[in-house]
Amino acid sequence: MTKTFTRRDFLKLSGAAAAAYAVGQFIPPLVARAARDNGLIDQNGDGYIPTMCEMCVWRCGVLAKVKDGKVVKLEGNPEHPNSRGKLCARGQSGLMNTYDPDRVLTPLIRVGKRGEGKFRQASWDEALGVVASKMLDIKQKYGPETMLFSSTHNISQPVFENILYGFGSPNYGTQRSLCFNAMIVANLMTYGMEEPGRDYSQIKYLILTGRNLTEAISTSETSALMDIIAQGAKVVTIDPRFTKTASKSTEWLPIKPGTDSAFHLAMINVIITENLYNKNFVDTYTSGFDKLAASINNYTPDWAEKITGIPAATIARIAHEFCAAGPSALAHNGWRTSNFLNSFQTQRAITILNALVGNWGVTLHPAAGEGAGALGSIPQPAYPRVTAPRLDGVPWKYPFVPLKLGIFQEMRDGALKGDPYEAHGWLISRQNPVLDLPDRAKTLELFGKLDFIATIDIIMNDTSWFSDVVLPEASYLERYDPLNLVGDKVFLRQPVIEPQGDAKSALWIFKELGNRLGIGDYFQYADEKDYINQQLKPLGVNVDQIAMHGYAALPAGEAKSELQWSTPSGKIEIFSTTLQKGGFAAVPEWQEPPQPTEDEFYLISGKVGQQTQMGTQNNKLLHKYEDSPRIWMHPDAASKRGIRDWDLVAVTSQAGNITVPVWVTPSIRPDCVYMTPGYGHLSKGLRTGYGVGASDSVLHVTYTDPVSGSQALTQTLVTVKKA
Amino acid sequence: MANDTKKRYGFVIDVSRCIDCRACMVACSVENTVPYNHTRIWVHDQGVQGDWPNLKRTFVPYNCMHCDNPPCTEVCVSGATYKNKDNGLVLVDQEACIGCGFCAEACPYDVRYIDEQRGVVDKCNGCFQRVETGMMPACVQTCVGGSRLFGDFNDPESTVSKALSSASSAIRLDAKRQDGNSTGPNIYYIHAPAEMLNLVTTDKFGQMEGKVPEASEYTLSEEVWKKLIIPVIGLATVATFGVQAVFFTKQLVEGEKEFEE
Repeated sequence: MTKTFTRRDFLKLSGAAAAAYAVGQFIPPLVARAARDNGLIDQNGDGYIPTMCEMCVWRCGVLAKVKDGKVVKLEGNPEHPNSRGKLCARGQSGLMNTYDPDRVLTPLIRVGKRGEGKFRQASWDEALGVVASKMLDIKQKYGPETMLFSSTHNISQPVFENILYGFGSPNYGTQRSLCFNAMIVANLMTYGMEEPGRDYSQIKYLILTGRNLTEAISTSETSALMDIIAQGAKVVTIDPRFTKTASKSTEWLPIKPGTDSAFHLAMINVIITENLYNKNFVDTYTSGFDKLAASINNYTPDWAEKITGIPAATIARIAHEFCAAGPSALAHNGWRTSNFLNSFQTQRAITILNALVGNWGVTLHPAAGEGAGALGSIPQPAYPRVTAPRLDGVPWKYPFVPLKLGIFQEMRDGALKGDPYEAHGWLISRQNPVLDLPDRAKTLELFGKLDFIATIDIIMNDTSWFSDVVLPEASYLERYDPLNLVGDKVFLRQPVIEPQGDAKSALWIFKELGNRLGIGDYFQYADEKDYINQQLKPLGVNVDQIAMHGYAALPAGEAKSELQWSTPSGKIEIFSTTLQKGGFAAVPEWQEPPQPTEDEFYLISGKVGQQTQMGTQNNKLLHKYEDSPRIWMHPDAASKRGIRDWDLVAVTSQAGNITVPVWVTPSIRPDCVYMTPGYGHLSKGLRTGYGVGASDSVLHVTYTDPVSGSQALTQTLVTVKKA
Repeated sequence: MANDTKKRYGFVIDVSRCIDCRACMVACSVENTVPYNHTRIWVHDQGVQGDWPNLKRTFVPYNCMHCDNPPCTEVCVSGATYKNKDNGLVLVDQEACIGCGFCAEACPYDVRYIDEQRGVVDKCNGCFQRVETGMMPACVQTCVGGSRLFGDFNDPESTVSKALSSASSAIRLDAKRQDGNSTGPNIYYIHAPAEMLNLVTTDKFGQMEGKVPEASEYTLSEEVWKKLIIPVIGLATVATFGVQAVFFTKQLVEGEKEFEE
């Protein structure tokens, strides 16, 4: 008999989980027994277990307070450098992510139409069997490359990648091109590394180009910013919005969107023409300065004033102040840099500003992470050779985009257009492409064309809602993951409670699926603890021995010179010969962004401190304390259209339209509107998040930067009128 | 100022450091299993002020002020609400409380709520359960911006005493009681921008009227903040309230410390 799975069944399911928990009281569960053996909890099952947060990608250390086998409070682990005893609002709310009444706690197989939300419960054996046979069917009929794979930044991601590369598909969509491709590629071209580290304690002058640290929170980094502000550091925020970070900054410059690079180029112009740069550093450690100097004559502050809307005198003053602070200055390169097609130029200009003051070794450092070599790796065979071209056009259309970054939005479009071939299936782990990707209508259109979609997630997210099979993952408080390296330690994520219902860890799911796909050799670990033990082997400890503190120290590495860069010249490449060979601007140049007409606005997107991306809006604790999501509009723009605060407005772009309430506020330029992403969920299986706000992914038009592959989110122009 | 408890626990809030991330609010809700439709702790957003582009926005965290002369304890008919003699925290004995709500009405800061399910009044207890084991209150421990500090004002070596004495000035949100005395709130705001002072010292603040928000509208913090003065209008018979700032210069703070010693 086919059982129809409805919203109401979610309630029953969580009831079933509670019953299972009650039974479990009589037999000491594995987690409780291990925690007791390790001295973490007492005979009553009460105590603190160290683990790692997963409410964003910063991965703070957590001390989970457990009482009677339930997690009742999360504290920041004072021994973890990312948390230092603190957790942000999302980290504090993490137990509601685990105890979400809308958790999927058993494998589900779709019985209704796709997107109708009707599922039946299935056993793991049946569900994994269906996924494997559909995937193998697609491989046999159309080739392995017609299976798409997606996953977003998480510590089990390398193991997920074994599925797709072992299976033989080159088509992998991650969040990277929607987030930081421009920044990473610019850093690679200039410094030969993905992202340098920053030492806040040394900063006396900080330029934040759109980096909204008090709302896009990385706990230790945000705390460090507030510390240096209290100590008197000067912070300049360049942002079309008066963000909370702007309100904490010494100075807010409401720049016109898409013109950041004009601001930076004018700073470079002042610094070079007035000889303010660190000549010794530039001569010794950089290459191509002369070519830069020869290229910036036209980029005067007067020129930039007309473009950016920031007075020439202000730009010159900031350049003077920046250089006066010397190596104690830092131009922060931001994190999500997917704003305009010219964002790559912005990123390159920022890397060069830092080189000009010679802050390397003071406020900027080589990235940590070299210690990863000290960990053991799990043996696996070489991946099968893939001959099919990638749907995202890397590298055949986009030669400079690193293979591992890829271009998610182009993969979706390639699959949709059948260029160079059609896709037939999609396996998605911990990602929500329905809201992640620009142009939601296209994503849903692709969903409609695919033969098979399967999702691995902890809740009935939008993508699960449209899936044929949903595989329930254990939450981050219920499972082990591979170790995570931070500084000179490796940190452990360990379960603090038993997985609820039938939920399983990613490591278990990937291995079981791999076995059924005939690629079990890529998953040579007996279970989660064995995986971690193989990683720990060179350190001479095992997972039980590090459970108490939740980390192991790495042996001290050889001290490396800070002043080394893995670029072709071995120096900081102000002029990039690599970019020159590719036919791209070898020194940063001004590229005009699109201009809105009188009726149009730039659609800006950003972050709030109470939600993470597209996955936390169903968390009741965050919902309790979040702002009701509204579109921001300047009072002048609003009164021109007869729009008042809280009015419903219709927002239209080339890609689609939405209706959303408005916040009339001077916190934004009159030529922009702003929306927080992650709202407007389509899944009715999210009883808290469904019906809240609207999704900016409906409006975003797909624009790809030809150099870095970055999606240009703010390049989208919209019109707004009273609904 | 009545100050006869052994310890005098309270908060110092560095206004310049609050980023309105609300980690404190979520932490408090979890630590104290606060019902979904209530909160014990707020971040008041003063709104975006000034002429574009010279804008200002200030966030003012608050919760129970653990007053030296609390009006709430005096109206409690069951004796459940009391000021702890050892530590100065204003607490509610949950066993003794009959849920009449007089205390909630008497509180000029409107920081008390009736837990409908349990039929008792509840509020910030200074995370007494944590403090007595040597931990910081949940809100203070997790404060990402480093805005919230907690400790014993009677101990000159405590974090709060040191923060207060090193600040050039401090503000308290004082509400005058019917007898004309100060409530003696034990939250001191330091590094408060001029805008905050303007708000609490001008008539505008005293005359503000606002609707009482729905319980779940925490995020409309402008509305919530307006709640603070609701008792001014509604409870004139209990006390004559004039919400005013008590502005301590560095000299005054030092003077007060001498008095304590």
